[in-house]
Order: sequence, then C-alpha cells, then structure tokens
Amino acid sequence: MWALSRAWERASPAFSSAEEVPALMGRPVKYYARMTRETRCSLFAATLAVESSGARPDGTEIGLISAGSDGWMQASAEYFRDYVEHGRTLGRGNLFIYTLPTSGLGEVAIALGLSGPCMFAHDAKNPTAGLCRTGGQMLTDGEAQMILGIYSGPDAAVCLNLHRGPGITEMNALIAENGQLNPLELCHKLRERVRQA
Amino acid sequence: MNAVISQSDVVTAYGWGLDALWNGLMSGKTAIAPTQRFAERGFISDQAAIIEDLSPEPNESRVMAMLRRLLTPILGTLDPATPLILASTVGEIEFIERAVLENNSAMLTEARPQALVQRVRQMLGLRGEAIALSSACASSAAALTRAASMIQHGEAPAVLVVTCDAISEFVYGGFSSLMSLSPRAARPFDAGRDGLTLGEAAAWALVTTRREGISILGWGNTTDAVHMTAPDRNAGGLTRAIDKALAMSRKKHNDICLIAAHGTGTVYSDAMEMVAFQRGFQSSVPVFSVKGGVGHTLAAAGLVQILVAGRAISSGHAPPTVGLGNVDAGAAGWARNAPADLGTTRVALSTNSGFGGVNTALVLGAAVDA
Repeated sequence: MWALSRAWERASPAFSSAEEVPALMGRPVKYYARMTRETRCSLFAATLAVESSGARPDGTEIGLISAGSDGWMQASAEYFRDYVEHGRTLGRGNLFIYTLPTSGLGEVAIALGLSGPCMFAHDAKNPTAGLCRTGGQMLTDGEAQMILGIYSGPDAAVCLNLHRGPGITEMNALIAENGQLNPLELCHKLRERVRQA
Repeated sequence: MNAVISQSDVVTAYGWGLDALWNGLMSGKTAIAPTQRFAERGFISDQAAIIEDLSPEPNESRVMAMLRRLLTPILGTLDPATPLILASTVGEIEFIERAVLENNSAMLTEARPQALVQRVRQMLGLRGEAIALSSACASSAAALTRAASMIQHGEAPAVLVVTCDAISEFVYGGFSSLMSLSPRAARPFDAGRDGLTLGEAAAWALVTTRREGISILGWGNTTDAVHMTAPDRNAGGLTRAIDKALAMSRKKHNDICLIAAHGTGTVYSDAMEMVAFQRGFQSSVPVFSVKGGVGHTLAAAGLVQILVAGRAISSGHAPPTVGLGNVDAGAAGWARNAPADLGTTRVALSTNSGFGGVNTALVLGAAVDA
C-alpha cells in the first residue's frame, strides 16, 4: 500500500540572486549557479517535500524518480551548441554533465543527501499515474522508505511525496481519475477544486 | 513470483548475437579499434568499439538502425499488451546534433527517449505501457529491476526491456572534455589503466515468469549523493546496492560465484568497485568486465554484461577481462585475463554505476536456481 503523504510541492524559483535562495536550502547562491534552471526547480520542490514530510534524509532512505521535462534536452542542445561554436574540438564538461535526464536528480540527491534509487521513468500515456505506480512498487519492494516523484516543466517543478501507509484519499482518487495528466496539470486541477470548494 | 530473462538478443562491436559477444570475449581479443569518425576533432583518443556493418536509412539514427535489425526477428511474436521499457541515456543523440547543426529546434522533440520508445513500440506493434527509462550508465540494469518488479507485482506476464546507445560526436566530445577516455583500448582492473573506451550496443530481454533463462533473484538501486561524475571512493552507495540485492534474493556473499562488474577502466571507478567487493566478500570471487572488449556501451552496458553473466553461469565458465595485462593490486585474485572455472555454484552478481552517483546491483541465477 502506498499513498501520497502530502498533495504535492510545487516550486518555480530562478534564484539568480542571493536574496531569492530559499532559506531552508541553506547554501550560498553560487552553489546553485552551476545548475540548470530545471535542476534548481526540481531541487526546490524536493526540498519542500522533504521538509514537509518531517523526514530526515540521514535517517530515512529516500529515492528519486522523475518524468516529463525537456529541461535536460535543452541542456543537451546548449552543450552541443557551445561545443560547435568553439570549434568542435573540446566540449565543456560542466555543461556535458547536465545532458542526462537524471542529471537534476543527481544534484537533488547530493544537496539533500538522498541515498535511495534514482531514475527517470516516463510513462508517456499516464505520466502521473506512472510515477505513482513506479514509486509505489519501489516502496513495496523495500527499495526505499520514501519516494519523491519529480515532474519538472520549463518553469516549475512538482514533487509528489510517496510513502507506505494511508495518505490523502482525495489526492489518490484525483490521480486515479486523471492519471493521463502530468503532475503540473494535476496541480492546476486540484487548485481549481480547492477554489471552487 | 520469479522474474526470468527467457529470451534475449544483443549486438556489440563483436557482431550480432550473444555467441559473437561470448566468443569474442573468450578469445581475449578486443573489438576496440582506432576510428576515423572524429579524426579531425582533436579528441584525446581515437579508440572506439563500433558496429561496422550498420546502414542507417536516410533520416534514421544509428540507434534506430541497430534496433530495427535486432528486433526484426521478434516482430509479431509478442502479445501486443506486453509493456515496453526502453533504456537509453538520452535517446537519439544524432537528432540533438542535427537540431544544433541545422538550427532546427523541432528536431529536439525527435531526440527525446519518449519519442524513441514510441517508435520502438510502433515497430513492434505493442499497445501496452511504454516507459522511457534512464539512469545514466546503469540504465538497462535499472530497467531490468523495474521489469522484474512489474512481473512480481503481477502487472503483466511479460515485460520487454530494450536498450541501446550509439557512439556520437556529442558523447565522444563530452567524455573527451572530462578527460575520461583512454588513448588506447580500455584495460579494466589493470594497474596501468588510464580511462574508458566508448562502445555502441543494443540489446533486448523479455522478462517473464518462465522457468528457463536468467533468473533475476534480487536487486538494489542506490545513489552515492557525493559527486555528479566521480564515484564515492568509500563505495558506500554500491555497497548498499549489493547488500540490498543479496537481501532481496535471500542469498549471502558466499553464494556468489561470479561478479559481472561495471569495470570501465577509469582509475577511480574500478578502484571503487573493488572496495565494495572486498568489503563484502570474505574471499575472492572471479570478476570480469566486458568493457575491454566492447567498450563502455553506456545505457546498454548493464544488459550486455548480464547476458554474458547468464551465459557464464549456465556454462560454468567466466570470461576473461579483455585487455587486462598487469592486474591492479586491488583486484589481484579477482579480475583475470583468462577464463575461470566457476565450479558448481550458479549465482552471479552484476553491478553498474553512473553519473549522478547512481548504482544498480542484481543477483542472477541460472535456470536450475529459478
């Protein structure tokens, strides 16, 4: 049995200046400067999710799975464009390392000290339901005590917080009804419901 | 419920099929050779393990050309509801290159692994779940853990795992910039090892509940949370992955007769793996890496070495680590440059690691252990 312990955490920080770095992330702005925008969004959303769960990464095995997001594809194009513009002899390693779908997750794991599974697993037909199903199976298999399911778009990221046990029934039902939506779309839908209520 | 790799196929620079791969490794000769593909680029190496007899059609990527030929024999043989997991590092990288070189941003959409998995799904006539999976150089190993999990959860009676990665200027230039490439063919676990050699490969595995094949007995996926590209020198993440895989399989270290290592040939990655092995195992176990023969095939690396490990435990013989001359002190008694007899035990461990600090370990059994 798995469930969402909290609906989601949504974040869209650019933090190009020190003032914009959320206090709970606790590092100087230079630490985040090397990251792509997508990675910063994912990191912020994951940080909020871990904070809100009350879990301590050093005492809880937390895994990361992601879906969606073409952020790494833009990073790939940026790396190769830079390489071409500089004579096609030497690429920049600091751009190359962000060309994988899991690059952002790697940074999240390092920044938050997360030690569980880490993979991109995109189910094109049912991105949200796919994330939840994959995370749920990992929890049942004992791969981690908590799974963060991250979906990031160009300007925002959503982090679903999955754990074993009872959770928020309405959110589970919403996902069951709307598994074909991606988590960002699902956020909008739930916000509309809250507003109407 | 047991998850078993009951059917599979592979192509590497040794040729098409597992026999070509197995015989190539057992011969001790490498398929790595100098390539002229990037000769004018001034990279730090000209070595690569390339599939020579590959003829992509116009507008077709090398990845898709590999898969088209490799998957043709199973067209129409699978239940259309079979879920598909496609493991690649990025997708069809040549389309990213073309998007930049031809200033055609629409091409980026074609490059995504989500697009590739749909192409493969369509080619095979599948209508079930289709998952694009990436976990850096542990991608296909991680995909197998997901397939085994889906089988054990009763989600489907069979799951098809397909993996592929090709050598591209994009990747070659990237590893060159990280100073990771050896100027000669990679020599995993050698005292003089000085980097990896890139290779290209594609493979598929049908994971089912049948009794014949390579049993997936347990697995572990972990993250180092230490560095984006360098391994954790204490091997904490890999050690945990191995321990998890053994615990899930209800096997102990001394049940393992063979280790299929990631064995890239880089100084720190190989050393990290040996730290993990020596920490857990009371005495040495035969360790092999395929990367001195077929290069580092990135996303495909895990499945390629697992198919070799499966052949090894069914035949009772471990292949040599091709390119190994003067074995590193840390791997002495473990890695060998000649085939080894495995005795009567039929349980193997396979490990992979990758960028972002990912680690995957699988415990594998022969059919008799299923």
